[in-house]
Amino acid sequence: MRYLLVLLTLLSVTVVNVTAQNVESAGIETMDVGEVSPAPASTQETMNEDLLEENKSLIVSVIGQGVAPLKSATPAQAYALAKRAAVADAYRLIAEKVKGVRVDGQDLIKNMMVKRSTVRTSVIAMVRNANIVETTFKEGLCEVEMEIKLSHSQFQ
Amino acid sequence: MRSRDGNKTFSLSIPISILFLSLALNAGEYLISYRYLIKDSILYNETLNISQAMKKCSGKVYNPLILEVNKEKNLKEIISQNREQFIYYLHKLGLNLVHKDKTVNYIQNSITILTLHTKCFKVDFNDNFVKISPLK
Repeated sequence: MRYLLVLLTLLSVTVVNVTAQNVESAGIETMDVGEVSPAPASTQETMNEDLLEENKSLIVSVIGQGVAPLKSATPAQAYALAKRAAVADAYRLIAEKVKGVRVDGQDLIKNMMVKRSTVRTSVIAMVRNANIVETTFKEGLCEVEMEIKLSHSQFQ
Repeated sequence: MRSRDGNKTFSLSIPISILFLSLALNAGEYLISYRYLIKDSILYNETLNISQAMKKCSGKVYNPLILEVNKEKNLKEIISQNREQFIYYLHKLGLNLVHKDKTVNYIQNSITILTLHTKCFKVDFNDNFVKISPLK
């Protein structure tokens, strides 16, 4: 009985070896389950983005842009109005970064041609304690650099 | 409890309480709201509403703003004199943001609305400064 068992084991080992050789000869590559192929560059960039961790604050920085209206009475008024628009844009960018954007898209195709392509995006948020770092005004365009400090406790 | 030097503590407390009461008499409660709209990166309809509260507001004060004034007692005047500082302060308090963007055949239009919903502020008027604090 013992000899029979030993014989059976030996036979099974040889069968496995033969199958492995056949796979190699057929040109099929085998891979260990533990191995993970490297992610593409774009995915790696996404993965390297800063995440908000406990006991660690995160600073989000954006640059908002605003334009002065054509009918401004004085250059000072133009600057003030453009700056306000730039601040609002910076607020929107912060909201988009922190909370995310809702995107809806619709394409109308008629006779195999795109007749109308519509993309709608929206953000609804409440932003507080954002700081203006720098303001520049050049050729009617105002740029406001704004940053906000986020901590884990704010989201609990 | 009677202090060692007679009734000194008690007698001191009277002018202190009078002082605080007089400060409180100069305080008022105001309702303030603020809103503006940005359409295609251009500002429209900036509105700041200030009115005295008809009913007493409840809540605790937080994060006060101190503005230097010269014996002025009208809040609207004070705010118009320190407009930029006050607007920046409102931004810091927090504004509600609604942004909508529509792109049709690669032509984009956007509207952003920033709003401070009507909020009660306690305002303490003093000779040289005014203290504006929201109630929460």
